[in-house]
Amino acid sequence: MKKPEGAARRALRMAALTAGVTGSYVGYLAQRAFLGPEARQKKLKASHTRAAQRMTSEFLTLRGPAMKLGQTLSLQAGLLPEEMLSELATLQMSAPGMHASLARARFKAALGRDPDQVFKSFEPDPFAAASLGQVHRAVTREGARVAVKIQYPGIHDAVANDFRWFRTVSKGAQLTRHLPGVVLDELEAQILAETDYAREADNLEHFRKGLAPLPFVTVPKVYRRFGGQGVLTMEMLEGVHLDAWLAAKPSQKLRDTLGARLVDLYYFQLLDLQALHADPHWGNYLFGKDASIGLVDFGCVKYLDPKFVATLLSLYLYPGDRTSPHFQELLAERYALNGRTLSPASRKALARFAENFYRTVYPPELSKDDEPFDFSDDAFLKTYMRESANLGRSKVAIPEYVMIARAETGLYATLHRLKARVPMSKIVRKYLKSPR
Amino acid sequence: MPRAPAAPAARPRRRPAPPREAPLGRRARSKERTRERIVTAALALFQSKGFEETTTRAIARRARVAEGTVFNYFETKEDIALHFLELEVSHAIASVRNNRRLRRASLEEKLFALLQSQIDFLAPYEKFIGAAFVQALKPASKLGWSRQAAELRTRYLSFVQELIEESLPRGKPSALAWFGPPAFWIYYLGVLLYWLHDSSPGKQNTLAFIDRSLKLGVALLRKGVV
Repeated sequence: MKKPEGAARRALRMAALTAGVTGSYVGYLAQRAFLGPEARQKKLKASHTRAAQRMTSEFLTLRGPAMKLGQTLSLQAGLLPEEMLSELATLQMSAPGMHASLARARFKAALGRDPDQVFKSFEPDPFAAASLGQVHRAVTREGARVAVKIQYPGIHDAVANDFRWFRTVSKGAQLTRHLPGVVLDELEAQILAETDYAREADNLEHFRKGLAPLPFVTVPKVYRRFGGQGVLTMEMLEGVHLDAWLAAKPSQKLRDTLGARLVDLYYFQLLDLQALHADPHWGNYLFGKDASIGLVDFGCVKYLDPKFVATLLSLYLYPGDRTSPHFQELLAERYALNGRTLSPASRKALARFAENFYRTVYPPELSKDDEPFDFSDDAFLKTYMRESANLGRSKVAIPEYVMIARAETGLYATLHRLKARVPMSKIVRKYLKSPR
Repeated sequence: MPRAPAAPAARPRRRPAPPREAPLGRRARSKERTRERIVTAALALFQSKGFEETTTRAIARRARVAEGTVFNYFETKEDIALHFLELEVSHAIASVRNNRRLRRASLEEKLFALLQSQIDFLAPYEKFIGAAFVQALKPASKLGWSRQAAELRTRYLSFVQELIEESLPRGKPSALAWFGPPAFWIYYLGVLLYWLHDSSPGKQNTLAFIDRSLKLGVALLRKGVV
């Protein structure tokens, strides 16, 4: 790739040099927020492979990852200058893996004892990679099979450092509102929250209780006595990841059932529980042969303001013209919640999104409720991405939307992979307080 | 500072088994117990009162022995500290040698395990270690510059060298074999300082620092960059 010259490049080079040894995971995590699940799966695998590699990749790890934050945000907004984009694209990203001695040391620092003293058995090699660490199999003294998640040390400080640094180097983009400060705040809050395993344990318990009305969903039980700073132990769930589930060639009916359940799960969380498991990474879902769903990794959870949810309820399945003054008024109301007024360009972009994407996928007419939407054609995904980019260009910024968009993008990508046919409006209508 | 041991010409095929210690007689066992009591008492006082402020009389009182008995075992407080560091090095070497799983581990992991077991050993005496560090820098200090200190350092670095050589292809010259041990000594002192100043929960930043710096350092020396 030909490297562009200019102020942006020089600034980025300088910034890369100052990123320092603590340069960490912000880029990777931020990237996760916006990449499609498939791309993320690949990215995660690639990053862990690279982590085991030699010095060259380690060097890049040390200076590069925070740059990915900028790249990610620019891709999302579609707005940073082209030269900056291509420069950012040349930087590398990696999340280091932990050897068994480090994982043990981390466990001991958290619980005061070695894993072998705590569990009946503990596998020194991890069976899964988590973005902030890795997961080990273990069996408790009582014989329960558990998954022990161990976080790479020093993540919280490294993420906070990276954000401090990134705020400094992105001052320009913040001033021009190409990179809205509120989006950065929201992203930092969410990523820092992901480093807090005690909070994740709270999330797991909240969702385990909250999702109980959905019989097809399982959330693992937390073993608090085997947890601590950077260590989280939970029940081992049955089920396989999406790739393996699809490899068994499930019937169209089963794929439709799973698709409908995923949509049901999404809207139940958003509109009923008002809290969202906002990490749609496929590694966080375990599927059963009967289309049951196991949810793991509750690091990225968004608790929604009931007022915000109320505005969603008024917007969903809006029956009339979405360019009408009434609809636009509803949109403006949603923005007013954050003390902002909606610019005409943003209002137009939102109305266009509602008309071009949502009206097609979620037809508001009751008569169409039994007509499932076919997710096998990728045209809908292209429309979604196009309208998202258009929305980004209008500089619209709702902090809540960062995580909702992350979850929604993941949901659509999963439905597409399933080639599922799902009666979307029928499911959403269940959760609207006043049926239209 | 004494020089680190030079790299031997040929790499040993296998680590020699540690010599088996002869069982101690009753008298020797009693002496060993007294020595242990004195060291335990001294460490507790170094940690609670400080190294400078602790007197041999206070050590004797706490160990419930006569002050003269303390001198029968250790000439000075620094000798007690040195004895403790000898125990620390023996513990660390044994914990790496006796860990079967580590035999197939990478050099970075072995060195990590070595440092980690040292830090585990030192952790209850953190305040004393800080004081000992400063003490060792004084020109006349036995902790830094005595024959015993040099021997201890040599024993430690010989083991580091053994670990390095095990990880290298036989017969191939490497910067890692030549510069590894002396570089590791300076690095070890840096790790201790970092650990002493680390205020992160569970001192997790030290773990991250050791992990990342070992990966980078070993890679640099392997490549012959330094």
